[in-house]
Amino acid sequence: MKAVSPVSVRPLRVLLAKLGMDTHTVGITVVAHALREAGMEVIFTGLKQTPEAVASAAIQEDVDVVGISSLSAGHTRSLPRLARLLREQGSGEKLLVAGGVIPQEDLPLLHEAGFARIFTMGTDTREIVAYLREWWAQRLAAEAHKQ
Amino acid sequence: MSRPVDRIAVVPQGPPARATDEAQRWDRETRTPFVAAHPERRQPFLTQALKWPIQPLYTPADLEAAGFDYRQDLGFPGEYPFTRGTQPNGHRSDLWTMSQVTGFGKGEDWAKRARYMLDQGLQGLILEHDLPTTNGYDSDHPLVEGEVGRAGMALDSLEDLERAFDLPFEKLRYLMSVCNAPQPVNLAMIIAALEKKGVDPRRFVLHIVNGILIEYTCVGRYIYPPVHGLRIATDCIEYLIRNHPNWAPISIISAQLQPAKANPVQEIAFSMAIAMAYLDATLARGLDIDTVAPYFHFVINVDMDFFEGICKLRAYRKVWAQLMKERYGASRPAALKIRMMTSPTTIALTLQQPLNNIGRLAIMATACALGGAGEAMTTPLHDEAHALPAEEAIRVGAALQHIVAHETGVADTIDPLAGSYYVETLTKRIESAAHAEIVKIMQMGGALAAIESGYFQRALGREQYERNKDVEEGRRKWVGVNHLVAPEQKRQIEIFRADNRMEEEQVARVRALRARRDNAAVAAALEAVRAAARSGANLVPPCLAAVKLYATHGELCDAMRDVFGVHTPDSQLTGV
Repeated sequence: MKAVSPVSVRPLRVLLAKLGMDTHTVGITVVAHALREAGMEVIFTGLKQTPEAVASAAIQEDVDVVGISSLSAGHTRSLPRLARLLREQGSGEKLLVAGGVIPQEDLPLLHEAGFARIFTMGTDTREIVAYLREWWAQRLAAEAHKQ
Repeated sequence: MSRPVDRIAVVPQGPPARATDEAQRWDRETRTPFVAAHPERRQPFLTQALKWPIQPLYTPADLEAAGFDYRQDLGFPGEYPFTRGTQPNGHRSDLWTMSQVTGFGKGEDWAKRARYMLDQGLQGLILEHDLPTTNGYDSDHPLVEGEVGRAGMALDSLEDLERAFDLPFEKLRYLMSVCNAPQPVNLAMIIAALEKKGVDPRRFVLHIVNGILIEYTCVGRYIYPPVHGLRIATDCIEYLIRNHPNWAPISIISAQLQPAKANPVQEIAFSMAIAMAYLDATLARGLDIDTVAPYFHFVINVDMDFFEGICKLRAYRKVWAQLMKERYGASRPAALKIRMMTSPTTIALTLQQPLNNIGRLAIMATACALGGAGEAMTTPLHDEAHALPAEEAIRVGAALQHIVAHETGVADTIDPLAGSYYVETLTKRIESAAHAEIVKIMQMGGALAAIESGYFQRALGREQYERNKDVEEGRRKWVGVNHLVAPEQKRQIEIFRADNRMEEEQVARVRALRARRDNAAVAAALEAVRAAARSGANLVPPCLAAVKLYATHGELCDAMRDVFGVHTPDSQLTGV
């Protein structure tokens, strides 16, 4: 963990990533702009990343949230692998979310793998912002309690 | 309300000033008092993508203000500037070719689905490859696990295309193949597969999209740095013009700029600038404009704003004709006529209440037809927002085009909306704004420079964010999304899935192939590709020689990676 100034003023750090060969970027662009406008720090990995590269970027950048955009059908393998890698590297506390074209019947598998929330296509960015803010408020409260 | 309009309709007989006076009088005396009692339901009314104000009424006064001239702005169908269509008889002699995108799984899976689609009355097919293929990897590359055969057909070697081409070629009018970054490899495999099947390449038209510059702009399936991408594309254009003159070597898929939220002006300007980059590079190979220009082909989407879509299609034809004539000095009619395929856009479709999408598709397909559908129309499927398409959706999608063509009468007279005060005003305005944006891009150094500086990418990123906000903040009403939202939506559409076994089989196949072919010959053929990449010789012939020896797609892409390097754009150059 990096040495932090008072936790209450620390802005939420989000890593947005595209895994594998999926190169659809409209959704992630919109989300990146919306999160930045909401005062969050957004880091984009660029395209064509491996779960390994995203996990190590998430740890290196010390982000609080990892958001994956998936618009091809590869999510049932790559997302669980990313979650497993983060847990294995002691970073299981990071919030994992995903969005894109993800059929309803795949949601249980992804939730079980460790993805807290899947934002399917058409999700309002304000809903994403609100969800992240609420999660962050709870996380900060928990950190304050520990201190 | 109809009387004042009747009065305006007789105005063209009078002197020009009268139309304006009459329209102003109507607004003052009749409309304004009415609006005072009945406030307008939107403030202001704007077009969907361009966000241009929409007047309550368009009259001859607007055409006068825009300097509209029938002969100069419209002319006649099949004649310069082709605003009213490139075909002398519109769609009265031939309807547009009706097609749909397909592609998934292994070669034989694609062939099975392609046969089904041909049986539904479709005459053209689009072969989309999976992401490993379009990004230049074989199916067993560690980076591509989980993506094999998913978003399109897996293609590792000539073997896969030999299986895919188990088709009734007599029913196929054309095949469009999408595989941009590795284009010479894909082209070589198709040529070799057709040869092996004994198909006469003159009996149908192969379109290769060959659209790498749009990949850098917004799609992302690039491999090499842009300057090498342009050279590779030019090699393919030159090779086909010289060796398969009846095929289509280049398509500018504006229909990829549009889902990236290019507005109609950006769409025309970016796509024309991109076309000119390919054109200039091809002319530098010693071909002349009247030979090269007729090969350029555009795929253009229409969104839900009916009139923006129709006017955009009309402006497209005119802008192309003007550029070819005035900038390039083309004189052959074929060089001045834009060749286009149109399509309803997938981005108007919603995940919510998916059957509503059938209505949207019908409206957009009607707009395509009214704007002059072009040589072909392709329709996306109503369940695409949810997942990869199912068979029922394919049937409905095919029927849709027949309904528009045969039941509505929109294709029975040529350019039926011409002369509409609104349509002509908007067409002219889109055309002028597109020309201004083209000048701006040319001043930057053209499309390649605009890509290398990230201008296109950032412009689109901003549009994506702004247009999404329009929906979220309710400025654009969208049924099922922010209007008439149903609380509990049960999914009622079918989902098609390719299974995991397919990936395992594909991986096993390419590994078995590498074990059994003549690997010394393959290594020599790959070295010949590297040599051509270095020397500037056309890449297609050495790729053709290599694929016939069953060099794999990924190996050939790697050979070019060795020489060209790879493109790894930062956030400024992706617009994210």
